[in-house]
Amino acid sequence: MEKQYKAIGEEAWKNNAEKINAELFIFTYGSLVVQLVKDYENYSAVNKQLDKMGYNIGVRMVDDMMARTSLERCTGFSATAEVIAKVGFKLFLNVIPTVANWSADAKEFSLILDDNPLNDFCELPPKAVADGLRYSNVLCGVIRGALEMMQMQTEVEYVRDVLCGDDVSEIRVKLLRMLDEEVPASDD
Amino acid sequence: MASQSQAQAQAQMHAQSLMKLDNKTSKRSNMLLEQNVSRPRRDRVGLGAFAFLFAEIIRYSQNRVLGIQDLEAKLNEIGQRVGVRMFELSMWREKTVHREMRVLQTLVFINTVVWRALFDKQADSLERSTENDDEYMITDNEPAVLKYISVPKEMSSFSPGAFISGIVEAIARCCQCPARVTSHVVPADGLPLRTVILLKFDKEVMDREKRLEAGK
Amino acid sequence: MSSTYYFAIVGTNDSPLYETELGVQRDESKYLNQFIVHAALDLVDDAQFMSTACYLKTVDRYNDWNVSAYVTPSNIRLMLLHEAKADDAIRLFFTDCHELYLKTLLNPFYEPNTPIQSQAFDVKVNTLAKKYLF
Repeated sequence: MEKQYKAIGEEAWKNNAEKINAELFIFTYGSLVVQLVKDYENYSAVNKQLDKMGYNIGVRMVDDMMARTSLERCTGFSATAEVIAKVGFKLFLNVIPTVANWSADAKEFSLILDDNPLNDFCELPPKAVADGLRYSNVLCGVIRGALEMMQMQTEVEYVRDVLCGDDVSEIRVKLLRMLDEEVPASDD
Repeated sequence: MASQSQAQAQAQMHAQSLMKLDNKTSKRSNMLLEQNVSRPRRDRVGLGAFAFLFAEIIRYSQNRVLGIQDLEAKLNEIGQRVGVRMFELSMWREKTVHREMRVLQTLVFINTVVWRALFDKQADSLERSTENDDEYMITDNEPAVLKYISVPKEMSSFSPGAFISGIVEAIARCCQCPARVTSHVVPADGLPLRTVILLKFDKEVMDREKRLEAGK
Repeated sequence: MSSTYYFAIVGTNDSPLYETELGVQRDESKYLNQFIVHAALDLVDDAQFMSTACYLKTVDRYNDWNVSAYVTPSNIRLMLLHEAKADDAIRLFFTDCHELYLKTLLNPFYEPNTPIQSQAFDVKVNTLAKKYLF
């Protein structure tokens, strides 16, 4: 199953994805985060805003991903985890995080981000580390938004971050409940 | 009055302390100074990722400003921080690292090297305005970064290319050719996103050009 | 050979972004060094329109001192006070310092034209000086 998703992701990246210079994307994201810091002057407010923007992105991304792949709507939570890592991340960021640390009840897993393009070139100010800025928090929002489109309500957060001195970056995804078929309203 | 300026000074100090970088050496700071930047470290990313992010940047900015002019100014500002970095980096990767200070050479560099670095192709044209000597136009028939950006009808005068003009404005300033740079959507047959980046160079730049030209 | 160097990075608004004395430290020399470098900036301004090269070689002299300059594409000036002439070594030193500056600039949290206070940067500059200048 894992192999199959990997193949779907690679094939979609190769044949169906339009691409853009990675550095333009990375610098643009950096400029956005700095803009938020200047506008809010408060790192937890920046985290919130990044999460919110990510959510809006995630909600839209699912359809785009479906249109570019041969994926069927996947049902189980564990299959979904694989799709996020091997198709979603591959198609948009051209990296594949590792799915790991499943909880015993299979309702929580982690994405280990060995390679996160957004982090290239970035070193956080000590104040940002102290105040708990999650520089790539947009990713948490994206995952949450995308899962909601797949009828899964989740909590998604960074638990470890290399930019804050941790050895690896780890995003924890926790399934709260399955949703009925309803279209979520976008945050604004 | 005094307390107001005091409050302002405090707010400014607060903002600066937020951004102040560490002076202590860390594994990360060493790694960043040692990484190889002579060539791009990674291949490309999905245009979708950029387009969705850019749409959110526009939406966020829109909620914080009053009019279209302010919105464009905000996108310009976000583009400028990208421009400064992209410029020094693409120059570093040139065969001969050099400086551009003359108006025409600066424009050609933006039109070719910078455009290729950003968008994998040259801009479609570079022209001098027929009406004003100090105005130049860079045209891109289909800017990839604007491809999936839809502008609501009631904002028809809004040009999301303000982000690109921010990049260009920063580079012109880096090259000591400061200019006011604006972006305009000028659709043509089959090219609904055709965008013109208009540079109007500062008077001192044009005066200097004349002096350098005469001194030749 | 025992010698002393003074190295400074100057922003587009003429404010110093970084400075260091390399080699034998001399008391009271800091202000004089700053003064010499500042005075040489005008000469850099004149020289920089004569070519498109970053390395402008020696742009000024003051008593026993030579002032060499290197201008990055975005007009950040790298300035070195030195006694002996050594064009090639100095060019290599400047080029590698330019690369360090570039990597500093790429961090989204570094604002152009603000002081570089990173110790990691300082250590690397000193290592480059040992490699090329002493």
